[in-house]
Amino acid sequence: MEYILEVFLDDYRLSKIKGSPVENQIEAVFGGELKVLRVKVGEELKNEILKAFETARIDSRACITDTPVAFKRALFEEIAKQKSLGEGVVKAVLARIEEIKELAAKESEYLPPPDIETD
Amino acid sequence: MSELYFKRPMPHGGKLVERVITDRKIARKFLESCTRTKCPVYDIKPTLHYKRGVPVRNVYREIMSVCYGFFSPVEGSMTSAELESVLSKRRLLSGWVFPYPILFDISKEDYKALGVSEGDRLIIRLKGKPFAILDIEEIYEIDPEELANRTFGSPETNPEVVREKFDDKHPGWVIYRSHNPIILAGKYTIINEPIFKPPFDRFWLPPRKCREVMEQKGWRTAIAHQTRNVPHVGHEFLMKNAAYTGDVEPCHGILVNAIIGVKRRGDYPDEAILEAHEAVHKAGYIKPERHMVTYTLWDMRYGNPLESLLHGIIRQNMGCTHHMFGRDHAAVGEYYDKFATQILWLKGIPSYGFDKPVNEVEGGLLIRPQNMREFWYCPVCKEMAYSENCNHSKEKEKLSGSLIRGLVAEGVQPPVVIMRPEVFKVVVKWWKKFGYPFVNEKYVQWKEEELEVDLPDLD
Ligand SMILES: [Zn+2]
Repeated sequence: MEYILEVFLDDYRLSKIKGSPVENQIEAVFGGELKVLRVKVGEELKNEILKAFETARIDSRACITDTPVAFKRALFEEIAKQKSLGEGVVKAVLARIEEIKELAAKESEYLPPPDIETD
Repeated sequence: MSELYFKRPMPHGGKLVERVITDRKIARKFLESCTRTKCPVYDIKPTLHYKRGVPVRNVYREIMSVCYGFFSPVEGSMTSAELESVLSKRRLLSGWVFPYPILFDISKEDYKALGVSEGDRLIIRLKGKPFAILDIEEIYEIDPEELANRTFGSPETNPEVVREKFDDKHPGWVIYRSHNPIILAGKYTIINEPIFKPPFDRFWLPPRKCREVMEQKGWRTAIAHQTRNVPHVGHEFLMKNAAYTGDVEPCHGILVNAIIGVKRRGDYPDEAILEAHEAVHKAGYIKPERHMVTYTLWDMRYGNPLESLLHGIIRQNMGCTHHMFGRDHAAVGEYYDKFATQILWLKGIPSYGFDKPVNEVEGGLLIRPQNMREFWYCPVCKEMAYSENCNHSKEKEKLSGSLIRGLVAEGVQPPVVIMRPEVFKVVVKWWKKFGYPFVNEKYVQWKEEELEVDLPDLD
């Protein structure tokens, strides 16, 4: 069975993959308003992810959700680097698992806010 | 007036409770006479989780909601007979419907140290300043675990709607389980009005004032929207569409009433919730003439149908003619049937004391329920569609809280069809202040030390 990791794209992330082969694999949801990349993984990698992060779970669409933000950020970084949606990007992320777990532990205390103007 | 027109309902119980001494000269005299007669003094402490020691409730919020009339006709901490009546029938001794125990609880050690007895007047201090008095009519002991169990019921005693046994994963059950065992029962009177800190100050609208504002605005009909969340576009559509009910025309007003109190991890901070709802009308998604943001102080019990009763009471007291209810109203986990609230308002729940809908029982509510299903985004209809209209079940895209939380946490601006940019801006504003977009343990600790108010000097 296949499981899905969704990576949402904002303008910044879109600019990072512009012109690369992954750009053609962008899917649009919510009337084209939300752009998403879908990384598909098999049983083995799914289990590794669930084991690494206790919050992670599988939803009814077979999506792996509630993973730490640090994991999703790293996943996008690897996609942008490898210009691929293959399992290789997930493997590269899992190779950095200690660093990500450390960041994830700090996530319950602090998350960097996006750099937008506020009142 | 035509019979087709709805009238603003009377307050629950017939009369708004108002137990606040606003004249500071009188209040000072009150306090002086208490001091002269050496009234015992008690400093409010937060209620701590019976296992984990983190704050789960502050009784000051209940004193405020009682004395400003949100919980009318409740006037104070319940006597043992009243408590029994609420637990067994969900009725006050006067016969009016009320879902929850409202209690002033202290520990056995504090009870000993205070040396109070029935007939005494207790001065209650908050943040080291005189805040309210409690005229003690009765002192009795409770078993907190029994209180918690009986408050919510069980699959055995309430088979119509309770699906799982309540336990320490349910925040409302934990609140009652964490009550102290000694109850001082009697009426509360606020003698020193707290001053709300921004942004709470501009959303504070107690029932009497709220009714006045509705009159000024010419709102014959108003529909209440319960929230403990930052509004996404699904909420906005629920509000707009539920408001099409009314009498001979859509409701004149939408009253957003947020529940402000101890939150769960993953909820948004109270400050963000209030300002985000305000952003909906500031940015013009709903005209400000038609949309008002307010709140009630209450540490939410998450009692789904029971909570909906309290919500109905609060908003009827505030002057609303209608109340919108969705599925999983004020719910957490799988303790209740998804439609438990709608069952209560459409059919009744006999095991809770309602063999008919709440509007039809004696002592029941006058506010009308507007029971709604859900909204989703439909790429075929190309709109935010109502689940009972749109038949594109394969194509539908649901707005889930976890989807939006995921986007927010990653700092990805949610698309306009999911969350308005002005709403997101508010989320980020408070994110910058707290270093975190959601409630975490640090926020709860900070918030429960600071509270929503400061107290002026009285003496
Ligand atoms: Zn449709």
